[in-house]
Amino acid sequence: MSLLSCACGNKETKKRRAKNISTASIGSKDGSPKTAQTEQQPQEGEEEVEEDMEQIDAAQVQPDPLQYELYAVIGKGHSNISTITLAKNTATDSLVAVKRVNLELWPGELRYLQNEMAFTQMLSHRNVLPFYCSFISGQELWAVMPLMAFGSCRDLIHAYFTSGLPELAIKLIMRDVIAAVDYLHYRWVIHRGIKASHVLISKSGRVCLSGLHNAFYTIQNGQRLRTVHDFPLHAADCVHSYSPELLEQNLAGYSFNSDVYSLGILLCELANGQAPFADLPATAMLLEKMKGTKPHLADSTTVSEFVIDEDAEYPPAEGMEDQPTSSQERADAIFFKRTFAPQLHDLAAACLERDPHHRPTAGQLLHHPVFKSIKNCASSVLPSQLQPVTPLTDQSNIPKDLTMDDDDFSRKMSEVSMLEDWVF
Amino acid sequence: MPLFGPKTKSPQELVKSLNDCLKALENAKEKESKRYVEETSKLLHTIKTQLYGTLDQEPVTEQVAALATELTQANCLHNLAKNLQYIDFEGRKDVVAIFNNVLRRQIGPRHPCMDYFVTKPEVLFILVKGYENQDIALNCGMMLRECCRFEPLAKSVITSPDFYKFFAYVEVSTFDIASDAFSTFKDLLTRHKVFVAKFLEEHYDEFFRHYQLLLNSENYVTRRQALKLLGELLLDRHNFTVMNRYISHPDNLKLMMNMLREKSKNIQFEAFHVFKIFVANPNKPKPIMDILLRNKERLVDFLTKFHTERSEDEQFNDEKSYLIKQIKELRGAEENMS
Repeated sequence: MSLLSCACGNKETKKRRAKNISTASIGSKDGSPKTAQTEQQPQEGEEEVEEDMEQIDAAQVQPDPLQYELYAVIGKGHSNISTITLAKNTATDSLVAVKRVNLELWPGELRYLQNEMAFTQMLSHRNVLPFYCSFISGQELWAVMPLMAFGSCRDLIHAYFTSGLPELAIKLIMRDVIAAVDYLHYRWVIHRGIKASHVLISKSGRVCLSGLHNAFYTIQNGQRLRTVHDFPLHAADCVHSYSPELLEQNLAGYSFNSDVYSLGILLCELANGQAPFADLPATAMLLEKMKGTKPHLADSTTVSEFVIDEDAEYPPAEGMEDQPTSSQERADAIFFKRTFAPQLHDLAAACLERDPHHRPTAGQLLHHPVFKSIKNCASSVLPSQLQPVTPLTDQSNIPKDLTMDDDDFSRKMSEVSMLEDWVF
Repeated sequence: MPLFGPKTKSPQELVKSLNDCLKALENAKEKESKRYVEETSKLLHTIKTQLYGTLDQEPVTEQVAALATELTQANCLHNLAKNLQYIDFEGRKDVVAIFNNVLRRQIGPRHPCMDYFVTKPEVLFILVKGYENQDIALNCGMMLRECCRFEPLAKSVITSPDFYKFFAYVEVSTFDIASDAFSTFKDLLTRHKVFVAKFLEEHYDEFFRHYQLLLNSENYVTRRQALKLLGELLLDRHNFTVMNRYISHPDNLKLMMNMLREKSKNIQFEAFHVFKIFVANPNKPKPIMDILLRNKERLVDFLTKFHTERSEDEQFNDEKSYLIKQIKELRGAEENMS
């Protein structure tokens, strides 16, 4: 299984817009402007690419398929209809990721994809994945974005950290994701899709939130909505991270703090290797959440609770039961051995409050005590925490994707033969 | 903490400062502009917060009313649109939020801001032109669509020569801008049906000459969306006269028949919905009849095999059987003689 497999829906904002914000960051409530600056200069690889792209974007990175050499598929999104392909931009000689959606196979309205693109274009924050440009190539929509060389957190868990990521990595990732969510909320956007496969990590450890296809802008028709009743259209793969009030779909509606609940689920997913309730059917998951069952981080202080839970109606929240006993035992052993900081447990508990009004806001979460210990810790530490997984930095030993040329050829051939048939 | 904080600016003062800033921004040299950009951004943020409130604070009704009136009367929305490219990234989004809020404001049955724009429609064309600058295109699109909800403003746009710019905008290579322009284009053509029907009748030739280019576009999405919109326009009963005219031209029929054979299933399907009108027309002009007759066998054969996988779609299958039946029963003058 490829390191980067199953990244779901990598989304973007615009790089050239980042330029604007860096010159005047008024109104952008970037959580850590200082870190941003100190970090962006000395980074190699990925960050360099971005710098390059930023400077030459207008002049050289054209929305033109001929500017991209495609290599292997490194991820899938949108229930496998879109693919993320590693590509080289020949104008800048830099590696990028290209999300390709075959519009012919796209089941819904094109409008939905357009909304998603427009959304990402209107955001600019270092922890929200931008995209450089988007255009049509044949029957495909291409969105060009920075290469996130470590893939998504889901990929990392899948590839190596099956029982969860190291504590420091979790903290660093959560800090950046919360900064992104705080930015979105401050701009009155509800993300509605926060989960590990939407959290991507670059070679230098920059964490980016993506997956904005379900995002909701709470300003509608010139008015701001206090509560939202809209249920996301394409929610099938996100329901497990949704808050109880969103899933209930009742008259009370939901609001920004629904995202905060999802942050709690994300935290559990990062720490335990699996999202809470992930193995339950959707209805059972819904019942658990409505009952107010609070998922935990699995470590020596909580693992006993999971054992007791075994007789319960449903399998324990962390759901390691379905796996073969050997790996179950292995996971248990790991859970027993480790102990997360009490503040990390506290962070999860605060996010996962059943009553939305009891949850802290994203802005408050940024000042949660758990992040005090990493106050001076830059995201560039993150890659060292992810060893032995290595980032994808070199395309030289990856086969080139030649299917596009074939497609083009067969399309031309079929068009030739078709036009001859009617007699006018 | 000082006992008496700095006095908050009145709506008049806020709008005046903003107008001054915008003016300075427009004429500022590179070096000084940064200061004005920051100042503008701050003012915009303050105004937006007063109009919408904050996460835990509701807006003050009187303040909102005063601010909206002032923004309209002091020509501030116009100035914002005009200088949008000089405003920073977050500031532009605030402009959109402010603009759309003020435009929606109602006093009884009146929309003061809309009334103002009716007398000063330049702002609409500034927004249309915004599509040419990719940094502000999407922002302009959001404001323009809000304007197009009002019939008088939509009329101004459609009847101006600038309307034909949209045929170029919907084809630009950048997908997000092209598709945003298409949304606006579609809104313009579908929202105020009575007016649009009249417009299409009066400007049939010019409009469809342009539209033909979209249907023949190299760009798959343009082709697909244009075809779908064409079907919607022709099948709307308001556009009956236009439809009749469209389905009398043999070239249009040829185009649809060719599109039925496109590789893309989606384009085939959309083409079917236009093609069916030609066949269902009870008074087919001779050139149309001739083409259908010449291809009678082929069409029956083709339609029988057409999209058989859509077995679930009852309406489609009914229409298809109806078309096959109609085509089988076609009798031309020559046939009657022989």
